[in-house]
Amino acid sequence: MNHVDIQPRIPEPELMYSGHLACPGCGASLAMRYALKALGKNTMVIIPACCWSIIAGPFPYSALDVPIYHTAFETAAAVASGMKAALDQLGKSDVTVMAWAGDGGTYDIGFQALSGAAERNEDFLYVCYDNEAYMNTGIQRSSSTPFGAWTTTTPENHTKERPKKDIVGILAAHRIPYLATVSVAYPEDFIRKFQKAKSIRGMKFIEILSPCPPGWKTADDQSIRISRLAVESRIFPLLEIEHGEKYTLNLEPEGISVRDYLEAQGRFKKLSEKDVEHIQKEVDRKWEALKKRIS
Amino acid sequence: MSKKITFTSISDLPPLVVSLGTTEVNPTGSWRYLRPVYHDKTAPCIEGCPASEDIEQYMYWAARGDFDKAWEVLVEENPFPAVCGRVCYHPCESSCNRDHFDQSLGINSIERFIGDHGLDFSLDKFKLAGEREQKIAIAGAGPAGLAAAYHLRRLGYQVVVYEKEEKPGGILQYGIPRYRLPKDILAAEISRLERFGVEIKTGVQIGKDISWEEFLQHDAVFLAIGVHKSRKLNVPGEDLDGVLAGLDFLSRINKGENIQLGKKVAVIGGGNTAMDAVRTALRLGSTPAIYYRRTRAEMPAILDEIEEAEREGIPMEFLVTPVELIGENGALKAMKLQKMKLGEPDESGRRRPVPVEGSEYVVEVDNVITAIGEQGDFTSIPEKLVEWGVVKSDAFGQTEQRPVFAGGDIIEQPHTVVHAIGSGKKAAMAIHTYLNGGDIAPLTDKIRVGDKGGYSFLRFRDGHEGDPIDNREVVTFEHINTSYFTRKDRHEVPELDVGARITSFEEVKGTIDREAAMDEALRCFNCGVCNMCDNCLVFCPDVAIKRRDDRFRYEIDYAYCKGCGICVIECPRSALSLIPEGK
Repeated sequence: MNHVDIQPRIPEPELMYSGHLACPGCGASLAMRYALKALGKNTMVIIPACCWSIIAGPFPYSALDVPIYHTAFETAAAVASGMKAALDQLGKSDVTVMAWAGDGGTYDIGFQALSGAAERNEDFLYVCYDNEAYMNTGIQRSSSTPFGAWTTTTPENHTKERPKKDIVGILAAHRIPYLATVSVAYPEDFIRKFQKAKSIRGMKFIEILSPCPPGWKTADDQSIRISRLAVESRIFPLLEIEHGEKYTLNLEPEGISVRDYLEAQGRFKKLSEKDVEHIQKEVDRKWEALKKRIS
Repeated sequence: MSKKITFTSISDLPPLVVSLGTTEVNPTGSWRYLRPVYHDKTAPCIEGCPASEDIEQYMYWAARGDFDKAWEVLVEENPFPAVCGRVCYHPCESSCNRDHFDQSLGINSIERFIGDHGLDFSLDKFKLAGEREQKIAIAGAGPAGLAAAYHLRRLGYQVVVYEKEEKPGGILQYGIPRYRLPKDILAAEISRLERFGVEIKTGVQIGKDISWEEFLQHDAVFLAIGVHKSRKLNVPGEDLDGVLAGLDFLSRINKGENIQLGKKVAVIGGGNTAMDAVRTALRLGSTPAIYYRRTRAEMPAILDEIEEAEREGIPMEFLVTPVELIGENGALKAMKLQKMKLGEPDESGRRRPVPVEGSEYVVEVDNVITAIGEQGDFTSIPEKLVEWGVVKSDAFGQTEQRPVFAGGDIIEQPHTVVHAIGSGKKAAMAIHTYLNGGDIAPLTDKIRVGDKGGYSFLRFRDGHEGDPIDNREVVTFEHINTSYFTRKDRHEVPELDVGARITSFEEVKGTIDREAAMDEALRCFNCGVCNMCDNCLVFCPDVAIKRRDDRFRYEIDYAYCKGCGICVIECPRSALSLIPEGK
């Protein structure tokens, strides 16, 4: 069979290598692959303690074709600020600096540095690949863990009682120039937003919902499906917020039941009917609030 | 793969901890216990097509606007796309997975567009072999005979087709009315075969103009003489003036005869001949009606034809059967009908009509056209080849007597154009293997398309040796990842207004335009066959899927693939499979 000309859907150059140490089906590894396709080779990555500290490979090997600076858990945003300042001093202001942290390093431990950098409007891109717990150290709850989820520190019968921290709302309150949510199930949207972030001066924050097969207790092949269900059920809306004010909803899903998303994951196995109803109500409430903010 | 870096002493270490090697030193493929493989499967439409057209492939090309290529793919299996695009009952569409999503794909309308697109094309490039000396004779230039002639000619044989009528085409020429299949379309597709070297001798009947023995002198013979004798009602008055046999009526009209029908015409039966006869009678100025002994649901006619008849305002009387035709001075005047009710299912699975006692009534009629089925006339064929009113044969048309092969309506299979075409193709494959001293039986698993009796000529000619793919695996709707498709109604086929229809024999249905054909083909799921949508490539977390060097499809780097299976799940069309590692 002859074939017609191929139009690649996403940029073809790969800046991530095979042989990285992510678990099979890892959403965070796919996220990095897309991010670097969007940002290109002229990028530096700062990685605090998180899954990616491991995924990137041990010295003297690296999974990325761009420089990585491994740093302490709480310091990603501070290091990125310094890195950007140093590059500016060297006259290399065309380099994109990306801090790449998990939810532990963003919502909890690195929160102070992040808030500071955001308030100062530092010129770098902060990315949180959010797998909703400390997965790398053995699935401990974080402030990103959603209500009702199992973790090793919120075990069966004592699943998490508090809701997930609203990091997007917090960052929006800092009125940074650009804020977006992306999903690995929507690669075109994902890449477009990273490219847009690259083109904007000042602080950019991107939140990625990043499925974790061992931590979410799902089969390895379900990561894309679950990411899609999160968007379709409105649990994870795909949006952009500019200067904390201009909200854009990138996809208006029909709004399937949250049950489809929850039932696909072992970590929500113990949810009662009441819990599911509560989650649905919360999702609906937040969706309505979001719709009101759409300009 | 990057090199392993070893430090033998402290002085080897860099002054700063900088990683200069890549993780490609880690063969993470060793983690894998499930292996994704590209594995094309059979789309249900192809399985559903008795001629085994590679529908999925021609949709691929049609969607990209390459109708030349689409035509080539189609004609690989069936030399009559413009004919089938008009008269086929399209079982492909009722098998279509898209039917479970929104509406089945308009395969028939696209086939018709492709057929019309290639109406003037030559068949020369389908010639597969040089001339062979062996001569093959075919009895009957209907769809079965001509399909066999085409494929045999492709294989280099000298083919002569004997046709007892004045023109070739069989049921296409004399059965199907012009408003469904214009004669110039049929002529174009038949003359193309003649230009390809198929010799058609018309006005020659086996057993009359040429003896059976003489016929058998060829290296192989293919019988496809069709069934033309209308079944009798077996009621009093059947030989009255004004009583016509359905197929005979259609044949005379198709030959251009001017038949004067009365005002009230009763057509008895619920099959395609009945629908053709009743709609023809309407166009001749009569007020015809259908009388059928079961209900609409049991009618054997193509649903499209029933609906068209209804649209044309033809009344249908169900659960009635004529018990007597009443005449006056030898001419038909009325018909006595008996009401029926449905009883227990018969051997066909349809509920058997049983008479309701004392329910007879009489209706006045000027003509009765019988269309309750046809049977074969086998007087010219050796008796031992015939059993229960059909020529005994296997799935490939092989009869008990070599080198006699048979196909079309005279063998036991549904009486449809597309079954006839399929049987001609299958017989051609069997004749070829027979003439080369082989047997078709060992090949059947290699050339089978699904499990509904279809066989691929393409696979027969070049794919039946050492092909690892089990192409019998048919993709079901559950295997389709519908997240990648959006709901979209199918394109409607243009139709003539009812008012314009009933005053002429103008073609009722039109051909969709190029844009519509492309747009409709884009609705195709392309079940089971990679169409290079890039999903596997895009969603691989391990950068282990690459476009092949020739940029046709992809390859998996098993040195690194961890076997997560995302590519398999996210393939919209099930063109990948996950198999246990080490098997």
